[in-house]
Amino acid sequence: MRILAFLLRLMPILAVGVVLHYVLPQHDIVRIVNTYQERQDLNDWTRIFWSDPSPQSATLVNRDVQFIQAVRKETFLLGFIPRDTTEVMVYRNEDTGWGWPFYFKFDTASLQTEADDLRSTPESPKWAVVTHYGWRNGYLSAFPNAIAIRPVSSPDETIIPWFNIAFFVIVIFLIGMVRAMWFQFRERMIDPAMDAAGDRLDIAQANMDARRSKMRRWFDSWKPKDRR
Amino acid sequence: MITFFKLVFFGLVGLSIIYLSLSVYSASLRRERLEKDYDADPVPGQSRDDYVETGMAAYRTSLRPKLLVLVYVVPVAIWGGIVYVINTN
Repeated sequence: MRILAFLLRLMPILAVGVVLHYVLPQHDIVRIVNTYQERQDLNDWTRIFWSDPSPQSATLVNRDVQFIQAVRKETFLLGFIPRDTTEVMVYRNEDTGWGWPFYFKFDTASLQTEADDLRSTPESPKWAVVTHYGWRNGYLSAFPNAIAIRPVSSPDETIIPWFNIAFFVIVIFLIGMVRAMWFQFRERMIDPAMDAAGDRLDIAQANMDARRSKMRRWFDSWKPKDRR
Repeated sequence: MITFFKLVFFGLVGLSIIYLSLSVYSASLRRERLEKDYDADPVPGQSRDDYVETGMAAYRTSLRPKLLVLVYVVPVAIWGGIVYVINTN
């Protein structure tokens, strides 16, 4: 039972964590290998891993998507924990428009041009930081969406995740704010109301006791003296 | 364009909820302080309710309730900033 309660409490935290891991910007240090464009089928549930750049795209069964192929040198978990890698990574490059997730990205074509400009060979590598969100999953054909690319001089560049720092500071501040507001609301509105209700209950109970004892006395008057 | 209006509409609804609850919270904090001030040091010739109501009237014309409009201004400014930064090279 204890384990079940623990799991039940863990689940919402995990769900929020998973969503944040998908949605928050993350950084990779990469070497751009190539870019390409490919028609994608969008008519099953893996649709959720693609964007809706405009309302009309939500009803399309397939659509051309631009991709950026890269070799990853280093990756950062939410920008905080660096890990060395040498794997390849393919990013999709899609507008997010005004919808979810709220990146307001409209510059797909410019980003593709920047990526093309940064293409390099293993012999004379040009390094770049790709900001992206989303997951790569080969089985589901899911690709992270590239948000921005900027060249860096070395693959050991330090990255400070300003957005994520600000995001978590604001979230902690908001949680504290909601807590303070809730306590104030309870102290000023709920507690006085409960006190008033409690007082009324006490008075009602006292009245009942008084009445009952009167009744008891009357009943007792009918009993023989030794059984009162 | 539909998505844009959806974002604006739900954004305004969300910010209005935050604005209203913050106004209530801020006024409640001030009222509590006025009550405690009076209990600690009662003003002769003025009842507790009168003291609190005068204080609340002064609060309503003060700067603090007006600063709460920042609840609308700051997120919209951050929004504009994000749109600009994401879409410039």
